[in-house]
Amino acid sequence: MRNLRYLLYIAVLIILLTLPLYTGVYLLNVMDIILIYIALALSWDMLLRSGQISFGIAGLFGVGGYAAVLLHLNFGINPLISILMGGVAAGALAWLVGMAVLQLRGMYFAIVTLALAEIFRVIIRNFPDLTGGPEGTILPSAIFAGNSTKTYWLVLTVAVVSIIASEIFRRTRIHFALTSIRNDEIVARSSGIDVFKYLVFIFVITSAIQGMTGGAYAHIYGFVSPEGSFSVDFTLLPIAMALLGGMHSTWGPVVGGILLGVVSEFLKLQIPYGHLLVYGLIIVITILFFPQGILGTLGQRLKKTGNE
Amino acid sequence: MNLLSKLKQSSYQITIISFVLAIILAIWKPHVLIEGIQRACLYAVIALPMALILGIVGIINLAHGDFMMLGAYFAYFLNVYTGMDPLVAIFPALLAFFLIGIASYRAIIKYVLGAPELNQLLLTFGLAMIMEQLANLLWTSRPIKLPLNYVSSSATIGSFTFGTFEFVYIGAAIIVLSGLLLFLKRTSTGQAALAVGQNPRGAKLVGIHVDRTYLLIFSLSIALVGAIGAIFMTRHSIFPLVGAPFTMKSFCLIAMAGIGNLVGILWCSLILGLAENFVLSFRGYAGWADILFFALIVLVIMVRSHQRQVK
Amino acid sequence: MAGLKTENLTRYFGGLAALNRVNMEFRENEILGIIGPNGAGKTTFINVIAGIYLPTEGKIFFNGQDISELPAHKRCRLGIGRTFQLVRPLQGLSLLENVMVGSLFGKGFSQREARKKAEELCEFLGLRDITRDITRMTALEIKKMEIAHALATQPKLLFLDEVMAGLNSDETMEMIDLVKRIHSRGIGIGIVEHVMRVIRELTDRVVVLDWGEVIAEGPYGEVSNDPRVITAYLGEEA
Repeated sequence: MRNLRYLLYIAVLIILLTLPLYTGVYLLNVMDIILIYIALALSWDMLLRSGQISFGIAGLFGVGGYAAVLLHLNFGINPLISILMGGVAAGALAWLVGMAVLQLRGMYFAIVTLALAEIFRVIIRNFPDLTGGPEGTILPSAIFAGNSTKTYWLVLTVAVVSIIASEIFRRTRIHFALTSIRNDEIVARSSGIDVFKYLVFIFVITSAIQGMTGGAYAHIYGFVSPEGSFSVDFTLLPIAMALLGGMHSTWGPVVGGILLGVVSEFLKLQIPYGHLLVYGLIIVITILFFPQGILGTLGQRLKKTGNE
Repeated sequence: MNLLSKLKQSSYQITIISFVLAIILAIWKPHVLIEGIQRACLYAVIALPMALILGIVGIINLAHGDFMMLGAYFAYFLNVYTGMDPLVAIFPALLAFFLIGIASYRAIIKYVLGAPELNQLLLTFGLAMIMEQLANLLWTSRPIKLPLNYVSSSATIGSFTFGTFEFVYIGAAIIVLSGLLLFLKRTSTGQAALAVGQNPRGAKLVGIHVDRTYLLIFSLSIALVGAIGAIFMTRHSIFPLVGAPFTMKSFCLIAMAGIGNLVGILWCSLILGLAENFVLSFRGYAGWADILFFALIVLVIMVRSHQRQVK
Repeated sequence: MAGLKTENLTRYFGGLAALNRVNMEFRENEILGIIGPNGAGKTTFINVIAGIYLPTEGKIFFNGQDISELPAHKRCRLGIGRTFQLVRPLQGLSLLENVMVGSLFGKGFSQREARKKAEELCEFLGLRDITRDITRMTALEIKKMEIAHALATQPKLLFLDEVMAGLNSDETMEMIDLVKRIHSRGIGIGIVEHVMRVIRELTDRVVVLDWGEVIAEGPYGEVSNDPRVITAYLGEEA
């Protein structure tokens, strides 16, 4: 049974890797967006497993983008390395915020993260010489000179990294720590878990993934700007995807990402203004009616029939 | 109680220091003092309803500022279609948003009251997004403003001129704060609400109708916020995202003052409002005023968590 | 083997002293009973020792080390274990995994080692079918899981908070036997109980708390005849 599953993973991976061979540029670009959102949705879910919500995905995403672009432009750093550095920058900022704010968790932490995107936007606007100010900065050329195959592989790598991270979080002792902390912090502390340290750690790692994703995005589209890089899309969609697909899992956000990613392409053409409305609706409906998401509800149904 | 021992008490120290600072400001930067107080009252009057919901119903409403935004648009369209002055529109807004509050509570909020905080945060976040995007869809993101004459009225003292319309905010803050305090402490419904906020189960046991109390308080809060939107509309241009920063600043104020401390919100608003205007008064640093609330809330959280550790 | 000592341990909640200048000593490898009427501060005492609350005044010494300011997880790693009165098993984890949480973080075992340790403990406590979902367990099994979890952290001193509550006569006897076996492994035990039969059978000494203060101390026989204790509270004979 296990071997079958591994074979399946490898098969899917091969299909994904060789996608550029038999699809056109448009589909690859759509896949790019979907994979980026999958990475964001997964990293958001990973923090959610500890019981904390971050509304700051867009903030860390944008910071990673700016760090990657500015390091590349001002210091000539190789684009791929600069993407990694984008992750490091986001992680470092998350460390600062986390150390300051994670002692009081719950809504205090969530609301602070809600403000992050706006705060970074203001900071960036205030240093126009460094960051290009309100108009942003344009890269002379996109990464890989816009080659859609290589771009696709880059994004695929980022998504795979986040999937691997999510699985690591599910299979190692981190899973036990996260589940304990989420359920009952006092029990967790009495079991020898340093809750604060774990929370900061997870926030840093997930933020680094979001920053790295932002770096990739910035290099692919070739520009960063206070409005675009910190757009609420990057917070709203990943959350809707993770909730719809099924939180606290790896494949939930992936399924949600694919579904909503495809839907997003449609909607953008039909309702250019305010199509994000749909995602808000999805969040509200999922929380009210099926908080387990698609995979979660399916899983429960299977369990029930299994018991009968 | 002689003067010396009074001076040692920290509350007196704070009052004296604030007094001195206010006088310094009045002489050095009078604009900052006046406009800071006006802005502070705007913040306070928006934060108070959120504090009411958080303290009594126990839910954090991330869509709070967006209800204000809807109130602003409500007043705008009322003016466009009926010519009603936005300040007069406060009254229909109160009614309309009271009803909206009831509808929101019945349809949505009720279901997450017992759920973990996580669900409440996500749900109200989704609601906020829906409201903002709906506004975007219906009215686009273009800022709109009403040309009203009286909002630019001003007065002059000595050599400095200041806007007088904004005193409306100070008036509103005083009315809302005292109104709420009177309601909560002197009426039986209000006292019941306080009881529910402290101990819902105990309140139920003594016969207080908890669900109706939640409904009332929630709808009252939304009504207030909608009405404030109408006032806000007169002086500012509005756009779908105009309310969002107020949600966060309101939360910042509530965190500073402590949940349940309504009067404290007024003092904390003064701190925030004056500080923001102070920063704004320095050319070149104006951009940093928007970060102040963030710095404040992080500071408050750090102080609180240190206090909790010692406990 | 472990010695725990509290010096004038005091804990205020608001204006109320839940613990007031408590001086208590756990000698090595004894079973100490902690009794007292409801609200006497017994669970608060455990919470303060375990590090869930920091003392307002006073000190706690464990093996000669001042642990008064240490956070809960560090005290757990030093060897102070405890069970909870109202057990809340961790959702999303099986019975075995619930126990594993204790062995994974208490001493830093690898997952494999932690699993083995947890399996051993479940065996020791008589828990069967340990990979099952925690939603279908009897009261006794939940208590046993709770104890297994605490034991998994490898405590030198274990506090049992009303583990006998809600058990019938047979189950109580089984539990008493279990506690004796745990004790024979060299673990000191502090047992908070209302069921006096348990206290009588298990403990070497008993400490009586009332309104957060120690009002009597000594073997059960003495304490149960102490007029102060009788006035304050003498629990139901089981």
